[in-house]
Amino acid sequence: MSTKGIADFTDLTCTNLMIKLKILLKKQVDSEPLEFYATREQVDNTCSQFTHQQYEVNWDQSGENQYLVSMKR
Amino acid sequence: MTSRSFFFLCGEVPPERAHWIRDAASPLSGQATTGPDPPFTLYLTGEALVSLADSRSEEYWHSIMYETGMRVIVDSDELRLHGLLGTIKEKYPGILTPGDVNAGEELTFWHSLVAYLKGENKACDRAAFLLCEGPYMSRTSVYMLRFLKIIVELGGQPELYAYLDGVHAAHLDQHPSEFENIGEGVSVLATVTGEDEGEGWFGACSRCATARGYFVKDQDTGACRPSSCIPAVTIRPLKEILERFAGSHPILAQCSGGTFPSRPGQETFPPGLNILITYSPYVSEWTFGGLSLAVAAAMGGLKTRVLFIEQGVYALCGDHTVLPEDRVFNVQEMVEATMDIPLLHYAVYSPSLEERGLELTGTFSGMERVDAEGIGQFLFSEQGEDTLHLSRIIFF
Repeated sequence: MSTKGIADFTDLTCTNLMIKLKILLKKQVDSEPLEFYATREQVDNTCSQFTHQQYEVNWDQSGENQYLVSMKR
Repeated sequence: MTSRSFFFLCGEVPPERAHWIRDAASPLSGQATTGPDPPFTLYLTGEALVSLADSRSEEYWHSIMYETGMRVIVDSDELRLHGLLGTIKEKYPGILTPGDVNAGEELTFWHSLVAYLKGENKACDRAAFLLCEGPYMSRTSVYMLRFLKIIVELGGQPELYAYLDGVHAAHLDQHPSEFENIGEGVSVLATVTGEDEGEGWFGACSRCATARGYFVKDQDTGACRPSSCIPAVTIRPLKEILERFAGSHPILAQCSGGTFPSRPGQETFPPGLNILITYSPYVSEWTFGGLSLAVAAAMGGLKTRVLFIEQGVYALCGDHTVLPEDRVFNVQEMVEATMDIPLLHYAVYSPSLEERGLELTGTFSGMERVDAEGIGQFLFSEQGEDTLHLSRIIFF
């Protein structure tokens, strides 16, 4: 977890991040976004894939190769 | 021409495993063969050999050898090591023991295995070993070297995929006082096959290597670099290792198998992958490692089936409660969350549940149940038909 309480998933492999996100999104209340930190590679390879599954995915660079990602159904 | 199926087992074969292997092979008994190989062959070495002497499994081995018609080929060097060669030959007349010097056999178990994998068309220009266990505590890495050395001897290209504890085989400066030096063996193979020139393929999973300290983040650049790792092995994402699985070359593991199509070389689809989850979750990395590999394989375009069997059925029973401080994936959540991946299919072996008096937890009540009559079809679904599909089996 980062100091703001936002999960830091930058160390996860793309496969494990995908599994983690699918688990968390199942538990997420639809109206609330899921926020976490990811790397550029993770954003491109994993997070952006969720746009095909009816999720709204946004990201903002927050550091060197670190992005704050927000996902919401 | 019919397809050919096999198991290659180095690890323990408890009575339960011998039992379901017998059941898997039973539908093949009496099947006509047109080539030199029977429909089903079993290669045994290492810990698997001990099972042959175990009276608890005797009934199944007799049935496997004399009722199903499965051909059983054992490593006579390892049987000699265990002091079991004479006992096993006497107990199971007709068992094949290549490399038995007393019987004047010149070619080893490994030559026999490679000849089988080459098949009638002699196509086996490369072969790989998925190494999941570290050296010295386990002899699996010794078997890996023996297998890959024969591949080189016969003019093929060896490939190594180090996964889970298998990445320890790439540790720099190994210096065992008594045992065969595995790091040195891998380096020699890589040199012989031109890994440095990009011809060979010796890879270690980056997630597993990072966890074990072989892939370290540079604080200045943020990028990861190899550390304490022999140059022969390249650390790569699992995704890249699994891209190798799209090829039709044989890939062995400590316990593995597969089906060769009836017309090799004319495969129309990437090989299928059957992952058997055989350990209970959490106490080791086997279950997480197997599931993670299965998900990545399916995401990468390989038709992947996961069968929970033996102790692996504990993954699907009870209500797993994982707290943040446990620092593990909840395996049940992992399975549930990935059930919608198109190329990934989950199933459970119902006799393993019944023997343990277990019931599937509600979430998984709809999961496909494979019974003793159906396991052969599940693992070798097109066995005996004119199949063009290659499939692999890897035990985790």
